[in-house]
Amino acid sequence: MQRLTSWIAAHPLYCMAVVALLSVLAFVTVYDLHDSRLRLKIDPTIERLLPEKGDDRAVFDRARETFGDSDAVLVAVEMDEVFTPEGIARIDALTRHFGELPGVRQASSLANVPNPLAEGDMLEISTFGAQARENPERVRAFPAQIAANPIYRDALVSKDGRTVAFSISLGDLSEEDFRKQDYTGKIRALAVEVAGSDRVWITGGPVIKAATVDALLDTLAFTLPAVLALIVIMLLLVSRSVYGMLAGAATVLISLLWTMAAAVLLDIPINLVTAIVPPLLLTLGLSYAVHLQADYYAVRETSPEARVQHVLSKVGPGLFLSGATTVAGFLALMPQALPAIQQFAGLSALGVTFGMLLTMVFLPSALRLQRQSTARRPLGERFFLVQARRLAVFDLRWRNWIIGIALLTVPIDLYFASRIHVGTEYIKSFHEDAEARRDFEHINQAFNGASIVSILIETHVNDALTDPELIGQVESLQHWLRRQPEIGSVVSYVDHLKLINQSMNEGDPAYYAVPRDAASVKQLLVFGGSSEIKRAIDSRFRSALLTVRINVDSSAQIQDLIQRVEERLGELKPPLNASLTGSPVLATRAVNAITSGQISSLALASFAIWVMLSFMFTSPRAALLAMLPNLLPVLLYFGILGISGISLNPTTSMIASIVLGIAVDDTIHFLARFNADARAKGNETAAVKSALASILRPVTFTVLSLCIGFLVFTGSELKNQVQFGVLASFTLFVAWFADILLTPALGSKLRIVTLWDLLRLDLGQSPQHTIPLLSGLSLRQARVFALMSKMEKMHEGGQLIRQGDLSRDIYVVVDGTLEAWIDRGGERKTLATLGRGAVIGEAGYFGQRRTASVDAVTPARVLRFDSQDLERLRLRYPRIAAIIFRNLNRVQAERIARTTAMLQ
Amino acid sequence: MIRMLAGIVLAAAPLLAQAQAPAAAPAAATAAPIVQCMRANIPPSVQVKEVELISRDRTGGERQLRGRLYATNDKDRVKAMLKIGSPPDLAGAAYLMREGTKADEIYVFVPALNKVRRVTGGNMDGPLWGTDLSYNDLKQVQNAFQDQQAKLEGKAVLDGTPVQVLQFTPQPDQASRYTSIRAWVEPKSCMALKAEFYEGLQVVRKRFSGSAKDLKQSGPHWYLADMVVADLKEGTQTRIKVTGVAAGKELADRLFNPATFYVGN
Repeated sequence: MQRLTSWIAAHPLYCMAVVALLSVLAFVTVYDLHDSRLRLKIDPTIERLLPEKGDDRAVFDRARETFGDSDAVLVAVEMDEVFTPEGIARIDALTRHFGELPGVRQASSLANVPNPLAEGDMLEISTFGAQARENPERVRAFPAQIAANPIYRDALVSKDGRTVAFSISLGDLSEEDFRKQDYTGKIRALAVEVAGSDRVWITGGPVIKAATVDALLDTLAFTLPAVLALIVIMLLLVSRSVYGMLAGAATVLISLLWTMAAAVLLDIPINLVTAIVPPLLLTLGLSYAVHLQADYYAVRETSPEARVQHVLSKVGPGLFLSGATTVAGFLALMPQALPAIQQFAGLSALGVTFGMLLTMVFLPSALRLQRQSTARRPLGERFFLVQARRLAVFDLRWRNWIIGIALLTVPIDLYFASRIHVGTEYIKSFHEDAEARRDFEHINQAFNGASIVSILIETHVNDALTDPELIGQVESLQHWLRRQPEIGSVVSYVDHLKLINQSMNEGDPAYYAVPRDAASVKQLLVFGGSSEIKRAIDSRFRSALLTVRINVDSSAQIQDLIQRVEERLGELKPPLNASLTGSPVLATRAVNAITSGQISSLALASFAIWVMLSFMFTSPRAALLAMLPNLLPVLLYFGILGISGISLNPTTSMIASIVLGIAVDDTIHFLARFNADARAKGNETAAVKSALASILRPVTFTVLSLCIGFLVFTGSELKNQVQFGVLASFTLFVAWFADILLTPALGSKLRIVTLWDLLRLDLGQSPQHTIPLLSGLSLRQARVFALMSKMEKMHEGGQLIRQGDLSRDIYVVVDGTLEAWIDRGGERKTLATLGRGAVIGEAGYFGQRRTASVDAVTPARVLRFDSQDLERLRLRYPRIAAIIFRNLNRVQAERIARTTAMLQ
Repeated sequence: MIRMLAGIVLAAAPLLAQAQAPAAAPAAATAAPIVQCMRANIPPSVQVKEVELISRDRTGGERQLRGRLYATNDKDRVKAMLKIGSPPDLAGAAYLMREGTKADEIYVFVPALNKVRRVTGGNMDGPLWGTDLSYNDLKQVQNAFQDQQAKLEGKAVLDGTPVQVLQFTPQPDQASRYTSIRAWVEPKSCMALKAEFYEGLQVVRKRFSGSAKDLKQSGPHWYLADMVVADLKEGTQTRIKVTGVAAGKELADRLFNPATFYVGN
């Protein structure tokens, strides 16, 4: 590792050339130079976010294939006069104009639906529009006729009779084309022009999807430049150098370019979820760059190469581990059922890896080439030093209180977290003044429902649905559905059938019923059915679609309805097989899939990070302690969700895993630095002070960058994006607070051994075989013991022990030669020459004064440990401690035996 | 539908009907001679032993209807009657259409009700009996072929058969849902082998198509024995097969009488 950092420090141009070459390749991967266009796919469709396979999707596709798209555009127009010949003529004209729009399969309204009128043996089945044209006098009877027709009641005209509804079914018009060609705007303009009213409301699945995509693209258009500006400002603040700012910005942008190239190669589109990746990566990349630059410009080394080497060896391990834990946080989202979340997780993990690599390879190389690279006093250095000292004193003094209060928050957070409600409110995601929300709410209120769900009934038997007994079951289901408060209306082929029967029987209300035999049913459906019936029953009478208008929008309410409806559908007898479907149902199921995966994702992220920390700190217990200051903010986050009433929805559910992955970085930085300083100083209190002094400034800057970066999302038009920004930055802030208070309090008694230390430590050839105290240990255990002790270097002639001193330290010679001697009346008498493996001063361990002095004859390295170290070892690594104690006893026994032999 | 079927036999439109063979369309620089050939020699009556309608929905599900058709052309007023023979649960149902001066009369007999109902109005653009044909489709064709403004677009080859391509534009007073109709007419029989109904500028809503090999003759009269009507917007189609066409046959009045049409054969 050391060699790698040295190589990077020595070959900046080579590193930059490799990065430049890869960046050129990434650029041509992302941008097609031949056609001058981006190869990166932008797919804002919502449907493709859902799993392509699965029962729900299959039912949805079957319903759409058989009965056409149920996701119609709903238009409501308030008119001064509806039930006048002129009003009907306007409605008729507008319906025709809607129908003529390219991509529209059918437009229907009061004007073009049939109004069956029976008189004697005459049956008139012309439309309201035609009847108004032929005999304007008949218009007056329309309100009563509509009210008497269950299919049209409250569906064509609002209860107050002033607002007319239009339903526009789309044909082969993709969601993207609908949005790009501004169909919502076209429909509105047509309505205003033809109907002569500016009181127009438009909603429906395609409209809301288009509005959502527009809002997200607007957010992206705002967040990217805002985060870029933030990068420039933060890097300027940290480096106080334009060159440093440019180098940092280039690092962040190159990592984004590589990530986008990976997206092209992996065929991952920029969709509604992956659209968060670019600003997120810019923000995270900025935090890495800030961290490295803060250290780089603070280092007092004179040569740029030495500075790079120093920074990489100091910051590198922490940075690597930070990146790894952040990647783990993202990868924990992979088991989520939705492909869009998996793509988000995979792309983010790749992006973080690129960012981390570039920060460790490209950024130091670029900084190394800076001409004027003398160290300068970093911004706020003195302030942070003073605060760090105060903080360290506070943390150590109030250690138990801090830990106690932190633990006290756990049950409180859990209590409030139990009040979290799961789900999302689709339309309320828009601002109150947003046109999409205003229109939806108006139509929902005026027509008692603005969202459509469907019940697909399948029998797989031709003509089965003409059986009156089965029709009775469908009718009973409809009655039950109409009693549900969330349901505004239900229309099925049974309604059409009963109306046909009534019309064919002189309009007698007694015949508003299902005929008694299947043949009659079939004859009425075949010979009396209008075109509308094709949307309700298939041509073989084996499957039917119940169109259900619902007046609720939140996923929790829809889920509640889904549960009740599915229970009721389960009561249908064979061959009736019914399923609830439609866009709101699919979306609700997707929301539930995401949020139910929250606990498992968080558990997975925590476990992955714990495993990584255990590996890096070579101790599961140390890893657990490092996790605590980060799990507490996550718990607090859930508590705040419970208190504030903000729901756990697809956006807010991602925060915990992401924040955990990011926040643990600061803990790692502190513990890594604390460990190094504790080993170097041999004093934990001093190490807490120095570690805090070292990390407080960069950690504060990175957290500040991240918080501001996430707060950029508050500029979004969508409420859930705003919540994401506010909650993520708040949780990160809390994590920072915990890291500067709780982590030092917890870590002050903790000596960790990092994998990095293990790899770097040099104990010479086979220490477990050449040093008796380490006999029986593995190489790793020998190194762990060495790292739990203190490695001290001695120069030639230096004194290790002075005769007569009272000290409890024990020493083991790692290399070099030492001499033990005593002073006899001013004369130096050499007792022994000590080499590798010799144990010195073990008598001091038992409270005796030093009986001889020990000096270094040559430069030497010794391991020093005392009873506290051994106790710490016993607690943390009992197996290693047992062997050390055994070996120590053996050394003592041998020494006693030797002494006894000498005396004899 | 019944009107359309009547058209098959009465040459209201060469696509859907027949034209007399001898008057093959002369090579023309304008559409008028072809239109005239198409309209010429409409037989006074026709009986179709079996009409088969096979409707196919978007999922490929099919429904069949079979029946007999009788039609007569009385002083340029078409009368047509269709009696359903199968499937058994629909057998006995009958439709009668009588073209009038002001409005057409349509009667329907539903065996389950054992009642005749005179149907007026109706959604003329709506599909009939779940097929892809509407009453107005045929009306449009009929109107189109009376269009003196028809344009000859040129010659073409359709599936190896030389054809003349004509474009008809409905007049504003016809309140057509289509902006134009383009027909590919086989000049020897004056039968349209294909017709496309346009909505808007370039959007084909419906397509009628048949093959030259299915052009049959009953005496001097031509007819298309097998054709497909596709609703391109809905993704559905209906196949129409006719067999046993007998033109110029004397048909009993009771077949076209609202009180008796459903009784006899």
